[in-house]
This record gives sequence, C-alpha cells and structure tokens, in this order.
Amino acid sequence: MSVTEWRVPSHEIASMTLTMFTLNAFYGLALAMNMFIIASGLNLIFGVLRVINFAHGMFYMFGAYITFTVAKSWGAPFFVGVLAAAAALGLIAFAIERLLLRHLYDKEHLMQLLFTFALVLLMSDAAKMIWGTDQYSVGYPPGMGGAIDLGFVVLPQYQLFLCAIGPLIAVAMWLLVDRTRWGRVVRAATQDREMLAALGVNVPMVYAAVFTIGSALAGVGGALAAPRIALVPGMDATIINECFIIVIIGGLGNMWGSFLGALAFGFVVQFGTVLAPNWQDVLPYLLMLVVLLIRPWGLLGRPEAGH
Amino acid sequence: MPQRRHLVASAIVVLLLALLALLPLAGSRYAVDLATEVLIYALFALSLNVIIGFTGNISFGHAAYFAIGGYACAILLTTYNWPLLFALPAAVVLAGLVAAVVGYFCVRLTQIYFAMLTLAFAMLVWGVAFKWKAVTGGDDGFTGIKLPAMLAHYIGFFYFTLAVVSVGTAALWVICHSAFGLTLVAVRENAVRAGFIGVDTRRMRWAAFTVAGTFGGLAGALFGMYHRGMYIENAFWTESANVLIMVLLGGIYSFVGPIFGAAALHLLQTFTNQYTPYWPTVLGLILLVIVMVLPEGLIGLAARLKARRGKP
Amino acid sequence: MKYSVMLAAVGVFAAGAAVAQQPIRIGVLYPLTGGGAVYGVPAMAGHQLAVEELNAKGGILGRKIESIERDDKLNPASASSTMKELITKDKVDIVLGGLASSVGLAMSEVSKQEKVVYISTIPKSIQITTDKLHKYVFRTSANTDQEGDTMAMLAGKNKLSKICHLELDYAYGNDLEVGILKALPKYAPDAKIVLTLKPKLGATDFNPFIPQVMAAGCDGVLSGLWGPHFVSWVKQAAPLGFFNKIKWISGGEIGSHEIAGELKGEYPDNVISNAYELWYHGNDPSHAAFQARLAKKLNTQETPQWAALGYIGVMYAAAAMEKAKSTDPDKVAEALEGLSIGTPVGKLTIDAKTHQANIGQFWGPMVKKPDRAYRIMEPAEYIQPK
Repeated sequence: MSVTEWRVPSHEIASMTLTMFTLNAFYGLALAMNMFIIASGLNLIFGVLRVINFAHGMFYMFGAYITFTVAKSWGAPFFVGVLAAAAALGLIAFAIERLLLRHLYDKEHLMQLLFTFALVLLMSDAAKMIWGTDQYSVGYPPGMGGAIDLGFVVLPQYQLFLCAIGPLIAVAMWLLVDRTRWGRVVRAATQDREMLAALGVNVPMVYAAVFTIGSALAGVGGALAAPRIALVPGMDATIINECFIIVIIGGLGNMWGSFLGALAFGFVVQFGTVLAPNWQDVLPYLLMLVVLLIRPWGLLGRPEAGH
Repeated sequence: MPQRRHLVASAIVVLLLALLALLPLAGSRYAVDLATEVLIYALFALSLNVIIGFTGNISFGHAAYFAIGGYACAILLTTYNWPLLFALPAAVVLAGLVAAVVGYFCVRLTQIYFAMLTLAFAMLVWGVAFKWKAVTGGDDGFTGIKLPAMLAHYIGFFYFTLAVVSVGTAALWVICHSAFGLTLVAVRENAVRAGFIGVDTRRMRWAAFTVAGTFGGLAGALFGMYHRGMYIENAFWTESANVLIMVLLGGIYSFVGPIFGAAALHLLQTFTNQYTPYWPTVLGLILLVIVMVLPEGLIGLAARLKARRGKP
Repeated sequence: MKYSVMLAAVGVFAAGAAVAQQPIRIGVLYPLTGGGAVYGVPAMAGHQLAVEELNAKGGILGRKIESIERDDKLNPASASSTMKELITKDKVDIVLGGLASSVGLAMSEVSKQEKVVYISTIPKSIQITTDKLHKYVFRTSANTDQEGDTMAMLAGKNKLSKICHLELDYAYGNDLEVGILKALPKYAPDAKIVLTLKPKLGATDFNPFIPQVMAAGCDGVLSGLWGPHFVSWVKQAAPLGFFNKIKWISGGEIGSHEIAGELKGEYPDNVISNAYELWYHGNDPSHAAFQARLAKKLNTQETPQWAALGYIGVMYAAAAMEKAKSTDPDKVAEALEGLSIGTPVGKLTIDAKTHQANIGQFWGPMVKKPDRAYRIMEPAEYIQPK
C-alpha cells in the first residue's frame, strides 16, 4: 500500500468537487450495500412470517463476534469466518424457530414482539458471557486493507468489495425467490398461508427455512461489517432501527424495494452527514418520514389488502 | 350482569386505592418510592394502550409525548418559575397538541407503517431535546427541577402521584367506555364495516392518538418531577419500546392489563438488577415463559384462572 | 423490676454490639450491560479489589465494608432510581461510580436531594464541579477543562499550525472542545483551527468525515474520539494513508493497551494519547503492587486502565470516613474537602472549593517495540493539573 498522495484540493472542502462527490457517492454505496445484506434478511422474515424481529440486530452482532473468534482467535481466513457466521446464525435461528417461535404463530400476533425482545435480552447476556465486555477488531482480509488510486480519487479496497457483494446477494435472492419452485412457495406463503397448507405444502418448514436464511443474512452482514468497525457490546442497538427503516421505505416484503431503500439510506446518510452534520442523528428517521408521507406503503410497496 | 361486573371491578379498584393510600404508614420509604414509580409507568402504559388496545395499531414512538410532558413541566417550573398549578396543565396540553399534529399524519397509515411513522416523529422529538441544549440541557439532561415544598417530601409526592394517576386513570376509563371508546373497538375489529356504518375511522383513530399523547405527557410530567430531572434517554426509542413491552406484557384487550404489565415489568427490572448483573438473562427467561405460556399477557392469566374456577 | 432492668441492659448491649459490627455500606453504580460495559465492568473490578483489600485490613473504622453493586444501565433516570434505592432500602453510607456525564449529573442530583455523599469516579462533565456543584458531590476523575488544557499544551509542544478539531457531538465532546479552545491561545498562539467536525456519539461510519479532514490540509488533529469510535476511524481512514502525515492528539484514553492490543499491527503511526493507568508503567512506588494484585484478581497480566478509577473512588471514601471518624455524610463531605491520599497513580488532593481531585493522566506517543505484541506509550509522562 503506498497511497500517500491526497487527491482532494484543500481549498474546496465545502464545495462538492467532482472528487468529493465521487467519494461520497462511493461511500454511500458501500454503506448501502452493507446495510442491504442485513436488511434483506429482515425483509424476508417480515414479509413471510409477519414477525417484527427485534433480535435481528443481535444476530448481526453475533455474526461480527463469531467472525472475530474464527478469523482472529483461531486464525482462520476471514472468509471462513464469514461462512462460519452465516452457518452459526442459521443454526441458532433454526433452533429458535423450531423450539419456540413456531408455537407463537397462532397466538396473539403482538406477543411475537415480546418474544423477540426476550431474545435480545438473553442474547446480549450470552454475548457477554462468551466474549466478555472487551472491544474487538477484525483485520481486513489479505489484499483488501489498502486503497486503489483511480487518478482523480482514491477508494479503499474493502469498501469496493462491499459494493460488489451487495448486488451479488440481491441477484442471488432474486433468483431464489423469483425463479425457483421454493421461491414461489415462499411468495405464496406471504399471500395466503392456509391455502398453501391446504395444497399440501409443508408450511412450517417454509417458515423455518425463511427464518434461518433471513437470520443467516444478518450474520453475514455482521461478518462483513466486522473489518471496518469496532466490535463492542451494544453494537446491535442502532442497526435494528436502521434495518427497519430500509425495509419500510423500500416497501415491506419487496426485495428490490429493500435494495432501493438501502441505496436511499446510504446516500442520504452519507451526503446528509457531510452537508448537514447537525442532523446526522435523525437523518434516517427524516428520510423515512418523508418517504412515508409521500408514499405511505414505501417506494415499491403495495397497499395491504383490506385497508 | 354487566352491572354486577362493574360493581365488582369498582370495588376492587377502591380497595386497591385504599391499600395504596395506606402504604406510607408501613414506614418504608423505599416501598413508597417504588410505588410512585409504578404508578407513573402504569399511567404511561395505560395511555399507550388507547392506541394499541382500542385502535389495533402499535406505536413505536410513545416516549415522545412522555418526554414533551416531562420536559415542558420541568422547564416551566424551573426556568420560568411557573407555579405547578399552571405548569402541569400547560405541559399536558402541549404534549396533547404535539400528539394531535403528529397523529394527523400518522393515522393516514396503518399497521407497521403507522408504527414506523410514529417512531420517526418520536426520534425527531428526541433530536430536538438533544440539540436544543440551551433550553433542555441537551444530553447532560435537565436536572435540578424545582418543586413546591409540599411535593418535595416523598410522601407528599406519592399522594400527589396517586391522586393524579387515579384521576388520569378514571378519565381514561370513562373515555374508553364511552360511545367513543366503543366505536374505537368497532374500528379495531373491522375498520371496513365500521366505515360502512358511517364511522370516520381515521378521525376516530386521530382522536385516540391525541388522547394517548395527552395522558402520556401527564405521566412524563410526573416522571420528571419525581426524578428531579428529565433526560434525552426518556425520549429515545428504547423508552418507547419499554412502555410497549409493558402494555404487551399486561395484555392489550383489557383496560387494566397495562397497569399490571407496567407494574410487573418495572418491578422485574428493579429486582433483577438487585439480584445479579446478569439481570437481562433472568428477565429474558421470565418474559419467555410468559410469552410461551400466557399468550394474552398477564391479564390472560387472570381470565384463565377465572375460567378454571368456573368449571365444575 | 430487677429483671426488666437487666433485660433493658442486655438490649442496650446488644444494640451497641450490633452497631459496632454493622458493616459500612458502599453503594456503587457502573454500566454492566450494553455499550457502557466496556468501561463499567473493569471499573467495577477495581472497585471490588479496593473493597477486598480494605476488608482484609479490617475495613473502615474497624467495621467491615459491604459493597452493594448495581448496573446503572447507562441511563440517567434508571441510575437515579437505583441510587435512591441504595440509599433508602440498602441504607448505604456513600455512593460511588457513574460513567456517562448525564448519569453523573443525575446521581449528583439524588446526592443533593438525599444529602448522601457521591463521588463521581468516571464522568468528566465539567458541570458536576461547576454549575451543579453542591456540598455532597466530589470527583476523582479528570474533567474536560483539565484534559483540554493538556491537549492544547501538546498541540503547542508538537508545533501544530493547522489543526483539525474532531469531537463527538455530545456533552463530553462539546465540553472538551470548550476546554481546548480556552487553553489553545496560551500554548499555541499561532495555531489555527481550520476545520471542526463532530461525528455523532455511537457512530460506526466515519466516511462522511475522513475525506474532509484529509482535504483540509491540517498537520494535526485534536480529537476526543474514544474507544470504538477511534477504532472505527482507524479502520476506515488508515487504508487511505490518513495517518502518514497527520499527528493525532487524543484525549479519549486511546493510549491504553485495551485499544493498542486490539488493533495491534493496525494501530496507526503518529498518535499521541492518554490513559489513566498503564499496566506496564507506573509513576508511583505503590503502582507495581496494585497492578500485581489486580492482575491476580482478573487473571490477566494486561489489566484494564478503568480499574484504577473504581479503585481510587473506594480509597477516597475510606480515607474520608477514617478522617471524619464517622460515616455521617456531612462530616464525610467536610473530610473530603482538601483531602490528600496516596494512590497507585501518586498522591492526589481533592480541592476544597471545586471538589475536584487533581488526578492526572499518562500522555505520550504510541510506539512500536520489538519485544511487544502491540504499541506502548513511551515515554509516558504523567501530567497532573496544577
């Protein structure tokens, strides 16, 4: 790595030069893609199961911590850590769904919210027991710790990688949900569960699979975030709100909506923080406010039947 | 039959009130303080349930009105030296007005979209409390609230809280059991059909939202005075989540459910913290059991016990 | 008649014995869950160590110490309730702890109302010992004016001319900014602040700020970014070569091994920072013994700096009660005014007027050493306010 030249002219900080614009757009995109991976899991779960999963942020945190253990403590390659995070979170989620959550589908809808809140409490303490309260960091994977000089702008390699992986996951999910038989079943489950069961589909297993995949995505999101942030207790707290915002502004249950929502989120947060730093604490909420006032069912969402 | 039920319920309420009123005689300052806290949370939870239980929508942003009531009362009492007699009503009215404005926009949406919009507005309120440092003290909090001498003593404040919460609860009861409240239930159960018979569902929900915000503000004002301080954390979404959990825990289809939920959750949070630094595990396990066993909340337990007793 | 007199006498004796044996109760609140646990848990360990040591020596005033420990949940209202509970239910004689400024101020408010001494062991908010000062509140941690003074001094010493100022946008960051701006003309009259940026508290994404700082052309950054904020900044800025030309002078205690050991090879060059205590370096003969005991208790050689703050709080409480020969809050508060004690970081004195202890911090550049797995602060200079 030998990027010591700073390409941004010093007299043009405030004004958006092409360089600054490109940089900010790129950073917004990188943020959006990292958030999309996490939010797409939440969207999948909410779209099919109708469960507001407060614990999704906790799954994200566990993904990051597991990557730390595998990649740093055990010394395995970073991407083995990512896979381990996905597998572990999938497994945890599958167990939670089969043992506990499935008993709640037929009961009072809002009790599921209470259930996921209990999960947050239990998992936060579990994390404390397993990893203690120290803060951790995970190194960049080899060859991704530097930056690429494009002449007019210098871009960090790892965030470039994030920009590439987001669309890949989006396309993979689109293929899975829109192009496979299983995907058709999942989409049908969002529409009419009883009818599906009457047609002989094993709906409980569809639910379990959706919860597993959605949670594994949170784990992957946490794993991929790990090299670029500090891992600390409480890192689950804001991410859950931000994911809900992305899912809601995109339109509930719509995967491309979440993609669009993540992009809107990434750009608004990045540019908004640069241009109006005083508003940075509430930017995501302002974005959601504006979107919902203009399009009450999100950018790509459709009004619910009966309302 | 309903008359008799009401009679029994009223008798229980009067008995409870009498017991609470006698509490300071037991001589435990701690018990009185704890009861004061529970009373405040009970009113807060009750107010939220006007939205949840009676319109079927959940709000993720109820802490906003709690905080507005709390901050406004604190600031009027302390910065502007208003007497309590004016400061308290002014704070409550302000909370209600903000709820009316926010509610106007929120009730155009339903379900999760409604919930997220309430969250967005609430976080703006939090942002204002955070950034408007000159008035609110920012994230240092607004401490040193001045109280009338009568309320400075913990017993005085307890009776004041008991009186205010009782009146607030009674007012909410009357509102929820009036024609208005019954219409709300109809809206919750079937908005389309309610619309057919000429009910302006949106307007009904708007009114409910405003009522909820107003009484949430009242609870907030009591809260600030009790702690002699208001903090931005009390406007944060975690506070909204906390009161939502109280309501769900108690049971949303019963008027008194949230009172039990508030008492249960607050006492659990307090006692588990005394017992172990791993209080989240204990609390989490208790909640898990409640969710798995009592799908209608604590009030469901009461109903179930009653049903069992009724069997031969 | 005789019988009843005897009974009464027995009763009096029993009561007397009970008073003598009744432990002195110290209440303490630190965040033990969520984001604050990184600091609260080690501070609590230091607190416990001090209590264990004192009890091994017979306690305070010949009475055992009972430490009543609670999670403050990093929430001021919750801390306020819990502190009231400690006072009214557990009948504690003194309360210690806190981490966040708002929690410190909330606890100070309860201390004022209930007339119980509160020693603020970590919160740095200047208000605690200025606007909101009262008879019963004391502070044994640094405050933002002291820290700002040292940072301005270091800016002058390192001959910074164009400074970028980075603070987190909340009480601590804003107060520290004021402290620095107050002191800067004194130490670095020619230095110019060319850019001030304030990322939000809890930020994990610093991409909106890094290019701005790089474009501003400053030769040094004054920063209060602490813990995870600094780590995230490093992670996102280092790939761009951010630290190659910029001196990073920080008051966020990132000179501790907790940060250096976590970042290891990724810890950047050109960082000058501070720490309350360093496990590998002491400024007082008693430090080595303290560190060894702490290492034994925590079962690690590399002990966290925050433990010292919890430890010093208890030492002050004990010394004040011994001096007052009483646990009466008024007498203890009077005893604390002007009280000097020896601590693992040297002799400290609480100012009688401001109730602020003259605790210092270790400051120095973070350097690589061939025999160390991570950077250490060397030379580490203990800078104490006058």
